[in-house]
Amino acid sequence: MSLSTKEYFVKETFKSIKRNQLMSFASVSTVAVSLLVLGMFLLMVMNANNLAKYLESQVQISVYMEDSASQNTLTAAEKSLKTMPGVTKVTSITKTQAMAKFKQRLGDQNRLLDALGEENPFPYSFDVQVDKPERIAQIVPKIDEMKGVETAKFGQEVVEHMFKLTKLLRMGGLLLVFLLAMATLFIISNTIRITVFARRREVSIMKYVGATNWFIRWPFLLEGMFLGFAGAMVASLVLIQIYLALQEKVYATLAFFPLITAWPFLAYLSLFLIITGTAIGAAGSCIPLRKFLDV
Amino acid sequence: MKGISKTYPSGAVALRSVDIHIKPGEFVFVVGPSGAGKSTFVKMLFREVIPTTGKLFVDGVDVIGLKPEEIPFLRRQLGIIFQDYRLLNERTVYDNIAFAMQVIETPYRQIKRRVAAVLDLVGLRSRAGDYPGELSGGEQQRVAIARAIVNDPLLVIADEPTGNLDPETSRDIMKIFTQINDSGTTIVMATHDKNIVDSMEKRVIAIEDGYIVRDDAKGVYGYEPEH
Repeated sequence: MSLSTKEYFVKETFKSIKRNQLMSFASVSTVAVSLLVLGMFLLMVMNANNLAKYLESQVQISVYMEDSASQNTLTAAEKSLKTMPGVTKVTSITKTQAMAKFKQRLGDQNRLLDALGEENPFPYSFDVQVDKPERIAQIVPKIDEMKGVETAKFGQEVVEHMFKLTKLLRMGGLLLVFLLAMATLFIISNTIRITVFARRREVSIMKYVGATNWFIRWPFLLEGMFLGFAGAMVASLVLIQIYLALQEKVYATLAFFPLITAWPFLAYLSLFLIITGTAIGAAGSCIPLRKFLDV
Repeated sequence: MKGISKTYPSGAVALRSVDIHIKPGEFVFVVGPSGAGKSTFVKMLFREVIPTTGKLFVDGVDVIGLKPEEIPFLRRQLGIIFQDYRLLNERTVYDNIAFAMQVIETPYRQIKRRVAAVLDLVGLRSRAGDYPGELSGGEQQRVAIARAIVNDPLLVIADEPTGNLDPETSRDIMKIFTQINDSGTTIVMATHDKNIVDSMEKRVIAIEDGYIVRDDAKGVYGYEPEH
């Protein structure tokens, strides 16, 4: 392809966008809105995922020992817990420590405990952390069978709910993304259809003088890609602003909330949106062209 | 062209086993009443219409057997002229002609030189910067002719090129066609114009109801003018 040909393509593309200002603006806006929603959904899904992972990593098994367990049994239990496959950390919590922790939690209300007198109802316990949450289901019954163990508990339900939510979000998001992509495709292909229609005379003359289909296609393809690209740029910029503002708010009020850090996350997301927008633009312009090229 | 027939999907038969050989450098008129198959005949030459049966070669190329991506290269060997000129109204005369070279990716400098030459040939050099809307019908058809020959075609196909023009303008147009033919380019022209056919004394192929009814080396129109 010679330089003058490339120049010709670029010139034709911008001429056409200018000629079709209103429709081009409408397409860019639609792409921008669709991709913005898509981006928001991705942000939500990815953050939910992140949160689930975070909670998952927080998963630990609390092993409560029998009050009657001797110091020897406790030491033996700790030892065998540590050697279990997948166990990464075992922390022992003595009865006194447990009591102190509880007192701290009660805060001003800790006088309630006075009623207990000298008695400490808290059992000796271990906090066991594992590398993968899937292991919990196999480990817990084993721990339960160990000597001196009263019961082993873990925050299974919370994690399971979280995973279900993420799954749902992902499925719903996927469906929404698909619908939005179709809508965007439709809008862009309509814009290009109008462009092609406005220039059908030119296209037919091109065919008569022997232009190849690809030569005819390029300016329209570029136009579609440009519309998609421009819309994606707008969507990305808006999304970045929203996320940065959100992050500031979250950090100010919910400091512990595991939000995905803005960079480079947003850069990847923008790149993804831009590629998607441009690809949709290209696809959208191919659809109406097929019909018109068939001369 | 051998044993060519064309039946349209509607069932209308436009041509019935037509055998024709056109030699390089010939000037051929295709005549006949409206709807006799003239248009189908010329359209087949640039593969706008594909024959239902038969064989069709243009410069040794099997037109019917062409793959879609090969069609543009056939058309680059042809210059096609229509009754309604088919110019791009938002482009100047120069750009209309240059367009035919741009779209087959001719280098810029070559375009400039060649467009100037064909503008001279059709006598429109001074109108290069004007838009088609500012030209008379005859001038517009001359631009269309210039566009058709700018890529040096082997064969010029003209479908009623003088259909919208008055007799005097038509004669001028025919002079240009004669000049093109004299330089060795084959011309196939479908026409209704009795005066032109009779005055040129060229080969005349008459089609009626899909059949070739006459093929004379120095023929006449042979029909009463329809209008």
